[in-house]
Amino acid sequence: MKSFVRRFPRMAIGSAIILAVIAMAATAPIFFPFSPWDMRGSPFEPPGSPDFLLGSDALGRDIAAGIAHGAWVSLMIGGISTMASLGIGVSLGALAGYVGGRVDDAVMRFAEFFQTIPSFLLAILLVAIFRPSIFSIIAAIALVSWPPVARVVRAEFLSLRKREFVQAAEVLGVSHMRVVWQTLLPNALPPVIVLGSLMVANAVLTESALSFLGLGDANWMSWGFLVGSGRSVIRIGWWISVLPGVAIFITVLGLNLLGEGLQTWLNPRLSKRDMP
Amino acid sequence: MAQSASVEAGYAMTKKLLGIDDLSIGLPVYADRPRAVSKVSFSLNEGEILCVVGESGSGKSMIANAIMGLLPRELPVLGGKIDLQGIDLLTQTPAQLRSLRGSRMGMVFQEPMAALNPLMRIGDQIAEVFYVHGLPGKPQQIIDLLRAVNLPDPEALIHVYPHMLSGGQRQRVVIAMAIALEPALLIADEPTTALDVTTQAQILNLIREIQRRRNSGVLFITHDFGVVREIADRVIVMKDGELVEHGTVSDVLKRPSHDYTKKLLAAVPKPNTGAPRPRSERTILKASHLRKTFWRGNKEVAALNDINLDLRKGETIGLVGESGSGKSTFARTIVNLIAPDSGEIRFEGTDLHSLSRKQWKPFRKRIQFLFQDPFESLDPRRSVGDIIAAGPMAHGASAAEARAVAKEKLRLVSLDPSALDRWPHEFSGGQRQRIGIARALAMNAELLIADEPVSALDVSVQAQILDLLEGLRDKLGLSMLFITHDMRVAAQICDRIAVMKLGQIVEEAPAREILSNPQHPYTKTLIASVPGLSGESANHRTVEAL
Amino acid sequence: MTESRLHAMPRLIGWRVLKMALMVLAIVVVNFLLIHAAPGDPASAIAGQSGQADAEFMRQLREQFGLDKPLPVQLWIYIERVLTFDLGVSHRLQRPVLTVILERLPATLLLTGSAFLIALSSGIALGVRAARKPGGIADTVIMGVSLFFYATPLFLVGIVLVLVFGVWLNWLPTFGMETVDVPLHGLARVLDVAWHAVLPVVTLAVFYSAVYVRLTRASMLEVSSYPFVKTARAKGATEHRVTWVHVLRNALLPVITLAGIQAGHLIGGSVLVETVFAWPGIGSLAFEALIARDYDLLLGIFLCTSVVVLVFNLLTDLLYLVFDPRVQAL
Repeated sequence: MKSFVRRFPRMAIGSAIILAVIAMAATAPIFFPFSPWDMRGSPFEPPGSPDFLLGSDALGRDIAAGIAHGAWVSLMIGGISTMASLGIGVSLGALAGYVGGRVDDAVMRFAEFFQTIPSFLLAILLVAIFRPSIFSIIAAIALVSWPPVARVVRAEFLSLRKREFVQAAEVLGVSHMRVVWQTLLPNALPPVIVLGSLMVANAVLTESALSFLGLGDANWMSWGFLVGSGRSVIRIGWWISVLPGVAIFITVLGLNLLGEGLQTWLNPRLSKRDMP
Repeated sequence: MAQSASVEAGYAMTKKLLGIDDLSIGLPVYADRPRAVSKVSFSLNEGEILCVVGESGSGKSMIANAIMGLLPRELPVLGGKIDLQGIDLLTQTPAQLRSLRGSRMGMVFQEPMAALNPLMRIGDQIAEVFYVHGLPGKPQQIIDLLRAVNLPDPEALIHVYPHMLSGGQRQRVVIAMAIALEPALLIADEPTTALDVTTQAQILNLIREIQRRRNSGVLFITHDFGVVREIADRVIVMKDGELVEHGTVSDVLKRPSHDYTKKLLAAVPKPNTGAPRPRSERTILKASHLRKTFWRGNKEVAALNDINLDLRKGETIGLVGESGSGKSTFARTIVNLIAPDSGEIRFEGTDLHSLSRKQWKPFRKRIQFLFQDPFESLDPRRSVGDIIAAGPMAHGASAAEARAVAKEKLRLVSLDPSALDRWPHEFSGGQRQRIGIARALAMNAELLIADEPVSALDVSVQAQILDLLEGLRDKLGLSMLFITHDMRVAAQICDRIAVMKLGQIVEEAPAREILSNPQHPYTKTLIASVPGLSGESANHRTVEAL
Repeated sequence: MTESRLHAMPRLIGWRVLKMALMVLAIVVVNFLLIHAAPGDPASAIAGQSGQADAEFMRQLREQFGLDKPLPVQLWIYIERVLTFDLGVSHRLQRPVLTVILERLPATLLLTGSAFLIALSSGIALGVRAARKPGGIADTVIMGVSLFFYATPLFLVGIVLVLVFGVWLNWLPTFGMETVDVPLHGLARVLDVAWHAVLPVVTLAVFYSAVYVRLTRASMLEVSSYPFVKTARAKGATEHRVTWVHVLRNALLPVITLAGIQAGHLIGGSVLVETVFAWPGIGSLAFEALIARDYDLLLGIFLCTSVVVLVFNLLTDLLYLVFDPRVQAL
């Protein structure tokens, strides 16, 4: 354990941060057994005041409670949307890379389209038109973030298919499904894992940006919402925006460190073009 | 031995160019030995070609890099002295060394495809040698240099980018850069290893020609005793960072004193001189009118252009050709990794090309493939046991049955059955190739297609694998199509040899006939290019030169 | 051989432009699908669910979209409209969408363009510096700072800058693009705009600078290990020359590629930055449209910014073509 920390310090720090955020999300109902939307005192109390550890907002809501409950929303949206886009990306990338030819062309044009258009604007449009909800936010993030996964998996598949151990499986008469599941996917996995951790970071950022613009789910307190709500009263209560912002920063930093650590640990050949 | 004596006299008259004294180079802590190079001493005279021979990891390239001052940081010089024309290179400042590089010593590298900056025109890259040494480098000088390395149309070539040139042409450009300022010392680090044999012969000629014309000293690093025989005046042999033998080329080749040198020389593949094996009447594989074209950009390339081949039961046919000849495409076409455009491949009468994937399956057991690169051909994420068992399991064997087979096959290739639960990365290149053979034989194949199975291996390991294959062939009655770029290897193991060029088999005959009496002009060139096979000896040339 | 590349140029550019046109068409189709996928009647989606739209306006919209006709016909009507530069009318502003967008576009181009140039030049310079000695002090500091900004949400950077330089120090303007109460002209106006642009441009630039630092460094380190770099050293080239002539030029290729891809991200970032600084560009227009549920305007913005991004991509592709002699096709 000790040597692991010394060899991969980034991964150790990153994992520690993420574990702390998960712990915060899990214990939020214990330390703050009330809705973060509740008005619990006078507005604009600065951090450190007797009622509010991290101050209160313009309506007297507890910032600390908002941050703790918001952690859950950020992680959940980040995790689920990343899973979904990994699902889309891995399937399409594997299809393109294994079948090749026209299928490959079609899939790659499709990915290129999604990669070229201003994806954040598309996410805004999707959430706005389908009305902000946890579901539309997750769907929008997943829909705009799968192309790098597809590209990576396709590139891995293409290069793996040229490698001799994959051709050996073919010559032995191993079935398509077995070749894909036993030989190609396990060998294509390391870059996908690295990409996945960086995508969770991106999803957390996108979710907070959406709620910052007022596109959050009104039933769920989120960090982006807190930052956005404090923006117009920044002269009176800077902490309302800044402290939740710092929470986002720390989480994203942790995920990035984790991703970079995984990168050096698993050492996949990830092309720069595909880094989110 | 009059020749040898005159050579020695010749040395006495020439001036010493390079002296290496007790040179030691370190290795990073995690390496398998403490030093890359350990207390090596030798010298090089003007007008002399000294070959440094050794297998991979012998430290031979490290010496070259140490002289140039181009060792990476992890490999520090631990002690000793390198003296070039009276200059102690190891005590020079970086700036002083820089001014010596290119002007007093030039270097040619192994990988011509990657040795040139892809974004810079050829002319500019050569002009840079002059520029960095504060010289004007007139266009005419650059054109003359390109002409000196026998490149066609030098006036046009200076405007061209590297990707438009072939490997051999690029290596000539690198040589032109290395000799631009007429350095007294030319270091060539495996300059022909990545090249085809005919190109290799041309580049060796060029280096020899330049060396003679300018009377420069050449330090030539190689793993190939054939190349040594072609080019060297003197030889040093390296093993595990130590110098084990040192002498004139004739002494070392004819009367090696160190066991390691003897072993290396014995491992060099030689034409089989035993009685020819009888040829069976039964054809096992017959290819007729096989064609395949690829699109490279918008150019059509015929990889297979009407290939016909008749392989008999128990026979080994060597398919020899240079890169791009289509030999690998042919091998892959037989096992359906590549579909031919037209033609037939009949295995015991069945046309394989017309079969569906499902109909192919029974033939997968009977026809197997041996791959080139032992570091590429085994799945790094599966255990050796799983790798060998994959074939039988794909054909319905239970896990236990397949494992028993795997165990048996490991014994067959002289590996310990305990290898079953270990991982590919725990094995050396030669051992991995044995695992590859075990995998190919796990379903008792009758026909083995071997695609350059020994070309990625060091010469001593190569000899062991060739012996193993020969033994298995005789024991199991295997028929083999043996693809190789190396005529010497083919001559050792094959009954017949087919020579491929640009998608065609230009000549096919019993091995010894091809060697002794080649008919096709290309076969003649190919055989003449094989280093060490021709009668000409390096000493003879040196005497002439003197 | 080089000439044949020159001859091939018009054809290559032709292909690229055709591809771009198809992309624009695809975006139009996406817009159409979005309108129809929206819950409820497309007209009410367009008019917004705010209930502000009167019956007359809804009737107009239904007619305009041909909502009584079959779907393919509706698509055709929609494409025809867009191709004749009719992007509809913003119901909030009661003005043609295209006019509004074109009015706001220069401000966004100014913001994103300057941020992009600053990010690219500073990112490359710092990346090269960091790669000079991996693990050294400069590398550690540069990579630390870039990781810091890489992980900070854009709007947080903006808000903190507003707080520090606008509210606490009161050094720089934090609102709008120019001083509105005193009309300025000529150079004074240019300087005024530049003064207002400092914080928004810095906010947008720091994140992308961090991206380019990381990419440049990684690319420099990778290219440094290529054999041709050793060839250059064997010629006697100085380290300075090796870095700037041999390594950097090759290391920039992936940076150019990424810069092309990043164009779309920059526009997305400008939505946040313009919202924080009330910069009167497309981004804040998008925010206003969002608040007012002015979807026709939002769709128009999506289409127009996509076209801008595609044009930018075309330019980076051409740059790549000039830069890398090996590229034969796009």
